[in-house]
Amino acid sequence: MIGALRRRRSRAPAALRIAGVVLAFAFAFPGVYLVYRALRDGTGPEGLLWSARTLGPLWRSLRLAVSVSASALVLGTGLAWLTMRTDLPLRKLWRVLLPLPLVYPTFVGAAAFIRTLNPGGLANDLLSSIGIDSVPELRGFWGAWFVLVMMTFPYVYLPVAARLRHLPGSLEESARLLGDSAFAVFRRICLPHAGTAIGAGTLLVFLYTLSDFGAVQLMRYDTLTRAIATNYLANPPVALALSLMLLVLAAIVVLAERWFSRRLPDAMSAKGDRPLDYRLGRWRPYATAALALTVFASVIAPFIALADWARRGLFRSLTGDRALTVDYAAIAESTFNTVWVSVVAAVVSVAAVLPIALLVGRYRSRTGSLAHAVVISTFALPGLLIALSMRFWTLRTDLVLDLLGDTAALLIFAYIVRFGSLAMGISVVAVRSVPERLHDSARLLGAGPLRRFLTVDMPVMGPALGAGAGLVLLSVMKELPISLFVSPLGFSTLTTRIYGSFEDAFIAEAGLLSVILVVLSFVLTWFLVVRRQEHA
Amino acid sequence: MLKNETTAPPRQRADVAAKRCRQLAALVVALGVAAAACGSARTLEGTAAEIYDGECVAESDRQLTVYSGRTENLIQPVLDAFACETGITVAVRWGASTDLALLLAEEGDRTPADVFLSRSPGPVGFLANQGLLATVDGDVANLVTADHRSDTRTWVGFSGRQRVLVYNLDSVADDELPASIFDLTDERYRGRVAIPATNGSFVDWFTVFRDQHGSDTAAQWLDDMVANDARYYPNNRSIVEAAGRGEIDMGLVNHYYQYQVAAALGDDHRAANWDFAGDDVGSMLIITAATVTSASDDPGLSNQFIAYLLSQAAQQYFSNETLEYPLAAGVAPAGVLPPLGGPEIGSIDFDALGDGFARSTEIIEASGILNE
Repeated sequence: MIGALRRRRSRAPAALRIAGVVLAFAFAFPGVYLVYRALRDGTGPEGLLWSARTLGPLWRSLRLAVSVSASALVLGTGLAWLTMRTDLPLRKLWRVLLPLPLVYPTFVGAAAFIRTLNPGGLANDLLSSIGIDSVPELRGFWGAWFVLVMMTFPYVYLPVAARLRHLPGSLEESARLLGDSAFAVFRRICLPHAGTAIGAGTLLVFLYTLSDFGAVQLMRYDTLTRAIATNYLANPPVALALSLMLLVLAAIVVLAERWFSRRLPDAMSAKGDRPLDYRLGRWRPYATAALALTVFASVIAPFIALADWARRGLFRSLTGDRALTVDYAAIAESTFNTVWVSVVAAVVSVAAVLPIALLVGRYRSRTGSLAHAVVISTFALPGLLIALSMRFWTLRTDLVLDLLGDTAALLIFAYIVRFGSLAMGISVVAVRSVPERLHDSARLLGAGPLRRFLTVDMPVMGPALGAGAGLVLLSVMKELPISLFVSPLGFSTLTTRIYGSFEDAFIAEAGLLSVILVVLSFVLTWFLVVRRQEHA
Repeated sequence: MLKNETTAPPRQRADVAAKRCRQLAALVVALGVAAAACGSARTLEGTAAEIYDGECVAESDRQLTVYSGRTENLIQPVLDAFACETGITVAVRWGASTDLALLLAEEGDRTPADVFLSRSPGPVGFLANQGLLATVDGDVANLVTADHRSDTRTWVGFSGRQRVLVYNLDSVADDELPASIFDLTDERYRGRVAIPATNGSFVDWFTVFRDQHGSDTAAQWLDDMVANDARYYPNNRSIVEAAGRGEIDMGLVNHYYQYQVAAALGDDHRAANWDFAGDDVGSMLIITAATVTSASDDPGLSNQFIAYLLSQAAQQYFSNETLEYPLAAGVAPAGVLPPLGGPEIGSIDFDALGDGFARSTEIIEASGILNE
């Protein structure tokens, strides 16, 4: 079966290859900036770069990234299977809730975790009522591991869920008829067919963990991003060299994943073939409890702290004790900005990576592989670096400055470079899931390339592309450094205002704005991702 | 609900009507419909009106671009008052002071920024070393005493935050409160003290500590703190929050976070500030700095703005509303704040310290406090 699905290697149309080169170039600007700066400024004292001061953080970054991605792989895949292929109760609710951890900006999300779960926190009363008197303090390696797994498993969950949703039930049915147990079917049918999606999602978790600064900082786990941040002012060449190290590391991992996933079978898709729902039987309560626990830890726990801050702030402003420093108009303006830039960035991101996905998934082109590696590796770079490089280039390119100067177009472009990677892997999976025979039939019936794309490709790829857009959407909504530095002057988003309030401990305002952000993402996830999947 | 016109408490509620008007206009433009002219003579409301209560001057076409490491909550009313009183449009880019300093370095002579406001002197020293700062006019710099500006006039202080010890009210007894930071290396403080070791104002404080007591003494103190199981936190806010919950007993922070958290959480926040003895290095005043960029195309306007920050009305606002220490115009600190007595960071010439910031960072990294 696997052999039968192998694709012909045919040459990609010239237009597509040109698009691939242009896109690779566009996505490469932060990397080019790093190389240019490193060449111009040197790498600083050689000894420092390879000293214990940088090797220690590098080792810790790797250790954390491997542990977090392995855990997110298991959790994300398991949750996707439970919500998509079983008779678990309340499946629709879980499907809307499970992507939400992505929307917490890590600087406020990790603080909210701490506020709820740590000693003296809000959940302590609840826990002591069920007999748990002392809670371990979230800090160091395990604290960072826990918070990051809770905040990143949707990177695996979303693509795998989109994949499993369209895995035809007939394969599983046959396996069942041949006497396989539910677990064996999962291992022999679901796992291989979701393999590429699992790989793509896990890669994102790995790279995200490398780039994270907010969570590891609050958990006081000393990683490479902290070393970069500290050296920015104190020793800029070292900071640049460390960032370059991060990028090279990312590129190696991305190429390794590519090599690995090319050896997996293409995913199959068939419309109209109903997916099979497993009866969990006596496991049903346990599975439900596991899901509820995950949702509690990843969505509810931080939300409790944020809502508590918001509630107290509102109460105090109503009693005239202390007015909030944000007003309706400011909130409305930021909310409006957040929605439109994130929706536009999500849609354009998917459109931008689709040509690369076609090159990689359908034609196995070298240009495509290169562009693919560039797009995904960029995800390992801290957002601040992308913001700085963006300002560096635009202020030195008169044409761009004159045309787009102080506009939101540059902001959206920077978002796409930062988060296009999130739609990249899942788009390749989507392209590879379109059966070649459908194309052949359409061609025989005289359909042109565009018509084939619209009537054959898009309907099959829809749910996966929707999941990709959802990942970008939620990430843009919480993005901070680019939103602060690449935006037109005076442009605010919910996240920039959350930051502005939180930084100086205006926690009531930060809580209120965060609650709005979470509710907003809940609504958008529902309309743009989940509902589309239901109808597809 | 958020905006209660009748009670109108005196917090920062800047200029709501005019802001709405502007936002509505922006929305209309965004929709591609011609915007109607909006508003004529207007006055400010809320906190901004306490800084300037006259009628706003008609908007001129002069614009000032500010990169502000002070957050919107703390400074927007002053910007609104300045814009209203002068008719000058003020555009702002917000961000952390260190990040903004990096941004200014990348933008170089092409930056649109005229003025950079920093929470602490470190990022300013970084920019001064790169030659990216112009000098502030003499008559503006002279609005503060020599202690509160740089000798080369690359920056002028406009408010101060004091270093203090925040402590948990339930787990720290009165007689345990130390007179000096040097006491904290004592056995009875083992594992009880939090240090924001990578935070900008802590690094600046540590740099001055090294300057006053010698690098060896300062490094030894930090090593002793690590040996005494002092705990690392990334910033002041997280320490104040943890102290209020009882996760830690005490921590070294800037004074005013405590007031913000207590105002938001009330009595549930079980923490208070403790002031070290007057001349102890632990009670140093860290100064927020205003600078003019060398790329500014209107230095006159930039100086006018900095002079406004040092005006009686603006200084009174910093004292009353953000509970910082005023530095000019003879304004007295708010009654709730302890009187100043400790060394002041401005009295040290930060520019002359040269690589002071870099060396401090190296010592802090080498101390091992960042490794849990």
